[in-house]
Amino acid sequence: MLAACGKAFLEETPKGSVLPATFYKNASDLNQATRGIALMFNGAWNQTGGMAITFGADDITTHRGGNKISFSDFDTYQANSSNDRMTNWWIYFYRTIKSANSLIANYENATEATADERSFAGGEAYFYRAICYFFLTRAWGEVPLVTEPGIDPDRPNEKVPQIYDLIVADLKRAETMLPDNWQGLKKQNGVNIAPTKGSAKALLANVYLTMAGWPLQQTDKYALAAAKAKEVLDKKETWGYGLLDNFGDIFKKEGKYNKEAVFACYYNNQVPGGAWENGSQMGPPNFMPGEEGGWDEAFGEITFYNKFPEGPRKEATYRRTYFLNNDVNKPVDYTGLLHKHPYFMKYNDDISYNQTNHSMSDWWGSHTVFVIRFAEVLLTYAEARAMSQSPDNSAYDAINAVRKRAGLKDLAPGLSQSAFRDSVIAERGWEFSGCEPAARWFDLVRTETVARATKDRHASEVPLKNTPDDATHRFYWAPVPVVK
Amino acid sequence: MVNSKLSTLLLCILSLSLHSVAQLSVRGKVTGPEGPLPGATVIQKGANKSVLTGNNGEFLMDVPPDARLIFRYVGFNEREVAVNGQAIVNVAMTRDVRNLGDVVVVGYGTQKRKDLTGSIATLGAAAYKDQPVVNVTSALQGRVAGVAITNNSGAPGGEVKIRIRGANSVNASNNPLFVVDGIALTSIDLRDINVNDIESMEVLKDASATAVYGSRGANGVVIITTRTGKAGVTKVDYNGFVSFNKPMKQYDLLDAVKYAEMVNLRAGSPVFPDPAGFAGKTTDWQHLIFNEAVTHSHQLSLSGGTEKARYFVSGFYLNGNGLLDNSSQKKFGLRTNLNMKVNEKLSVGLNLFASRTHSRNNGDMGYKGNPVTAALTWAPTEPVYDDAAGKIYNRNGISPIWTNPYLTIREANSQNFNNVLIANGRIHYAFTDWLSLTVNAGLDASISRGAFLRNNFLTPGNMGAGQGSSENHTFQNSNVLTFQKAFNKHALTVTALAENTSSVWSGFNATGAGLTSATNGYHNLALNASQSISSNYGNSALLSYMGRVSYVFDDKYLFTASVRRDGSSKFQGKNKWGTFPSFSAAWRLSETSFVKDLNIFSNLKIRAGWGKTGNQGIAAYSTLGALTPALYSYGGSTGFQSYTLGSPQTPDVKWETTSQTDVGIDIGLFNGRMNITADYYNKNTKDLLLFTRINHYDGGGSFLKNVGKVNNKGVELSIDATPVETGDFMWTTGLNVSFNRNKVVNLGKDSIIFRNHIGGGLITTSIQAIKVGEPLGAFYLIPWEGIFQADHTATGNKAGDNKYQDVSGNNSIGFEDRVIAGNATPRVQWGFNNNLKYKNFDLNVFIQGSHGNSIFNATYAATAVPSSDVAYPTLAATANYWTPQNTTAVWADPTSKTSRNYIESTQFLQDASYIRLRNISLSYQFPKSMLRSFGPAKFTVSAQNYFTITKYKGYDPEATSTSASSDADAGIDLGAYPSPKTITLGLNITF
Repeated sequence: MLAACGKAFLEETPKGSVLPATFYKNASDLNQATRGIALMFNGAWNQTGGMAITFGADDITTHRGGNKISFSDFDTYQANSSNDRMTNWWIYFYRTIKSANSLIANYENATEATADERSFAGGEAYFYRAICYFFLTRAWGEVPLVTEPGIDPDRPNEKVPQIYDLIVADLKRAETMLPDNWQGLKKQNGVNIAPTKGSAKALLANVYLTMAGWPLQQTDKYALAAAKAKEVLDKKETWGYGLLDNFGDIFKKEGKYNKEAVFACYYNNQVPGGAWENGSQMGPPNFMPGEEGGWDEAFGEITFYNKFPEGPRKEATYRRTYFLNNDVNKPVDYTGLLHKHPYFMKYNDDISYNQTNHSMSDWWGSHTVFVIRFAEVLLTYAEARAMSQSPDNSAYDAINAVRKRAGLKDLAPGLSQSAFRDSVIAERGWEFSGCEPAARWFDLVRTETVARATKDRHASEVPLKNTPDDATHRFYWAPVPVVK
Repeated sequence: MVNSKLSTLLLCILSLSLHSVAQLSVRGKVTGPEGPLPGATVIQKGANKSVLTGNNGEFLMDVPPDARLIFRYVGFNEREVAVNGQAIVNVAMTRDVRNLGDVVVVGYGTQKRKDLTGSIATLGAAAYKDQPVVNVTSALQGRVAGVAITNNSGAPGGEVKIRIRGANSVNASNNPLFVVDGIALTSIDLRDINVNDIESMEVLKDASATAVYGSRGANGVVIITTRTGKAGVTKVDYNGFVSFNKPMKQYDLLDAVKYAEMVNLRAGSPVFPDPAGFAGKTTDWQHLIFNEAVTHSHQLSLSGGTEKARYFVSGFYLNGNGLLDNSSQKKFGLRTNLNMKVNEKLSVGLNLFASRTHSRNNGDMGYKGNPVTAALTWAPTEPVYDDAAGKIYNRNGISPIWTNPYLTIREANSQNFNNVLIANGRIHYAFTDWLSLTVNAGLDASISRGAFLRNNFLTPGNMGAGQGSSENHTFQNSNVLTFQKAFNKHALTVTALAENTSSVWSGFNATGAGLTSATNGYHNLALNASQSISSNYGNSALLSYMGRVSYVFDDKYLFTASVRRDGSSKFQGKNKWGTFPSFSAAWRLSETSFVKDLNIFSNLKIRAGWGKTGNQGIAAYSTLGALTPALYSYGGSTGFQSYTLGSPQTPDVKWETTSQTDVGIDIGLFNGRMNITADYYNKNTKDLLLFTRINHYDGGGSFLKNVGKVNNKGVELSIDATPVETGDFMWTTGLNVSFNRNKVVNLGKDSIIFRNHIGGGLITTSIQAIKVGEPLGAFYLIPWEGIFQADHTATGNKAGDNKYQDVSGNNSIGFEDRVIAGNATPRVQWGFNNNLKYKNFDLNVFIQGSHGNSIFNATYAATAVPSSDVAYPTLAATANYWTPQNTTAVWADPTSKTSRNYIESTQFLQDASYIRLRNISLSYQFPKSMLRSFGPAKFTVSAQNYFTITKYKGYDPEATSTSASSDADAGIDLGAYPSPKTITLGLNITF
């Protein structure tokens, strides 16, 4: 009965698994790999965790109670390397990088795929790797730079210039390798879900703009940023980008896919058997008061709110009326709430949310997170153009397009270079406030105005534990996680 | 039919007697401590004549008046009685506590207990007959020295952790190998076996005993032998009980008024404007989720046969309700064991066991937000329903973020149907009286189906349903050639084995979301709006050769040597094969004239052995670096297959090897009324199959390496005695104690390896580590030192804040301040069993204890301090917080804005040592005269787990949420399912 011949009998036949040696061969493999990368990137944005790092800005705050302390630690400049909220970005950006590195190392071997298919897949991998490092280095400064699949338990942190070198190189590849438009699943409701040439160019413009500021201070990059942003503006029809007429529509559940998305993360809480990263916790309860069943995770700072110009943009950014215990007969404004702060509403309109009484049936939602909006490209262009040349008409046109939609008058003409720049920074703050990835924190850091922005901190806010310093750049970078 | 057979036999004997002269017809009854002994052998000494006792233990035999009769019964002391011309000879036999005459099942053969050189303990079914047991592990718990059993989950059919002589491995399995009638359980679980079918269990502990199992022997082996019929004795046996279960204890939580006050205090503003208004409105969530559950067990067996063919047939039905509401398990099954003697040379056997288990919502080992943690943390101010009449649940409360536990427990609908089969056939052929071949071929298989329905309460607006099925089977073929011969003072046994084992498993899973209607349950998955399908396949194989030589000289000097070679498919290329040798020797001092002359020892034996065993207990394909599958949906509701890079390939990974040295002594005193066995062992496991954590910056996860060493050293002692034995009264007692010290000796170039992070949202970093010099399961926590009594400028804390030790000295408290603090591995385990018998009454008192381990009680922490998931604590004790007037309080000032709460601190590490009254039972054996139509009947009332002495503050110091298969991630209670305390009424009838 012992007929089993040793060698064959003891071979493993992993018919149910996929091994790296047989993967990355054809177009289907490449698609499965790029989906895996997109899924990991989604994980960085389906909760507020990583955004804790941006709470040091003057637009967002939270209370210092119970489980919000880790957010408040950033808000009040006392976060340490054990901060549990920030690690979500660290973990998911590096997970994305790991799978992107593997695809970068392998896409050219997919001999059963067409040249285009190989190029598109490689372009996606480069794009995702670049955007991950862009967020990582802006959040933490010097971080390990991993560019190949593999393990090194003693990887040192890389210097910032080297990290940007890789980001720029990756995006230059991505903008040539990616398609202008996707077909099939990667395009939903006419909107490209996966990154395109346009996304890569827009991101590269943002990267250049950041390189021109702190810490690299390479002011020659303003021109490159302006040129790259202009490519996107000039060819916006190619990629289908544009501003929605009504600011509030961007964040409506009906607007899940819209043309303002240059690059976004898309979720659906109904994916069966799906991974955590397919649904999103970036939904109503985070930004709702306890009185309405929310978690009081974050709300707007008072000074910033007061300075925020009135108009449809403000109406769509903050909620005006709150219903105590979801009772529509008990409306109050924010001063009638326990925490006496205005709450954001950009992520509220989701399927679990009841618009009538502000109750919600689930914290697990499907709200889109806009990583790069077309408005950001306009503002990047305006700033970069002004700083590299002068605030010319094209720069004014770009910022005024954003202001017009926000219900504001055109910016006063004839501003100086720096006054124009300051106006753009302010405009960006109002445009993206409310926990959007284009966070004001990054603008304050690159323009070295973190400390200055704390000067007007309202008396009712939690007092600062420490003070940042715009000269020494104290608290500009988050502490690298103790468990790297 | 039986009676007619018996009378035929008697007639034969009678007719034979006609030819003899001066014969006396002797009648008698053979009884044991529990009553008549059917099937005992009565032999006329010096004559080739014997009879068996009948159903009531009676016999009839014609013998010369001066004859001497010998009475034999397996497991009892042989007795010799002179007839002395009397017509009635009644004999009471006593249990052979020494079991020296017993035959012990060793791997691939049997041996007489007196000839053993290794450390093997035997547990017969009689040992736990007074304790109602529904699974094998509760029969073993506390009864065998060196075997540690912990009920990780109190769910019906829940997970149990079993360790023999400590844990060897960090990542590979530490579960012992279970061998049922020669078939190693592979595709089915020990829990699937019906404990009442078991005749005896042999626990193989040292390497000289387990090395014959080679690569699967490192964690010890339990050989289970199921019952067989006895020739000439037909027996029908009914055993039934009903158990009433209750929670062992409850947490003391804040009532709604006090809770509201505490919330206001903590928030610094009137979150609840009128706390007093909650008077009488407290919701007792804890009470809502626990059930006073009932368990029924019914066992019926029929056995008997002739010399040529014997049978044992049994059926069982078990219906257990869980302590947690809406959880249960139903089981039923059948066994048929047949043994046939075809002729003097050839005998065949066939054992078949099939059972079906239906489990409902009992897969909950505990996780954050499960009904247990949610019930303990849900605000007592929250009502269960928003609208009780319309059954509209109150879904989300002020705290925690988890869903209403009464909703999740009531609406849960997760079912599992598991069908299990073990079939094995044996052919035994004796070529001569000294050479035989045994071929054993067996199949163990499970076919299971899981199904779930998520209704509109569980996931509003997105109902879903799914089903999955899996099929696992393992085929094993063992061929054993046995040579056995004694000449002069030499006895030699040689065993040769060739064996192959192959397992295949496959399954598929179909789940969906957007179910249009819940009325069809999970039976029409097409009603899901979006679908997801997956399937899997796996196989593994093991090829083995083994040889063993046992040599006995002069009945005094015993030697055994064995070597096994195993090839495993789980390893690649040159690492497939491993060799596992062993040597052992024993000296029976009691056979020397010097010791005999002392007249103290009825048995005295010293033993020593050494051997190597292996561990290949890693998942198949672990070394191949397979990609990790997931679904990605592009924002739509349909998931599309995606792959992310998995862990790296590790082709060089090989066996883990354990070398064990054992020295033991067996002592028999007072003519066998007291038996002592003591063993010392030292185990070194090297080339640990270690999943080493990969840094987050390299993508996280872990990869397999052979690094490091773990050492287990220990002493085991077991004492069995019959201190009192008079006509009406007998007291038997057994005590076993095991001390085990587990230590990580080496981790390659690392000195510490962090374990994965468990319980995110509540626990925010890894709280366990493997560290050189520490046992497995070491906790890694920030030392909590109580409460600051004065302001502390260095860390910016005020009086009343939590005080942690700034280990790193950086004037800031964080995870860099974690240190090794306690561990989850018990050091001492013991069991103390007493049986008192007076006339027809039996009293059993069984106490079991475990000492030296801690549990990180995350469940308790969740109730005690704010965390990202639980905004406001519920624990009653927290109302006694620090104030300048109340400085001895252990809870920080809730109004402080400077105090931090680290759940990951020693504040929540609790001593999990316990002493537990496992069983106390009183039974009454009805005299036969009272129940004419039946045979012996016994009525038992008993209690299990009724008293526990422990400092542990959670529900149950045995219950943890960490997997029973791991010892490095262990001892974390995160909503673990506690075991109940139980009152049981039992009835046993034999006829």
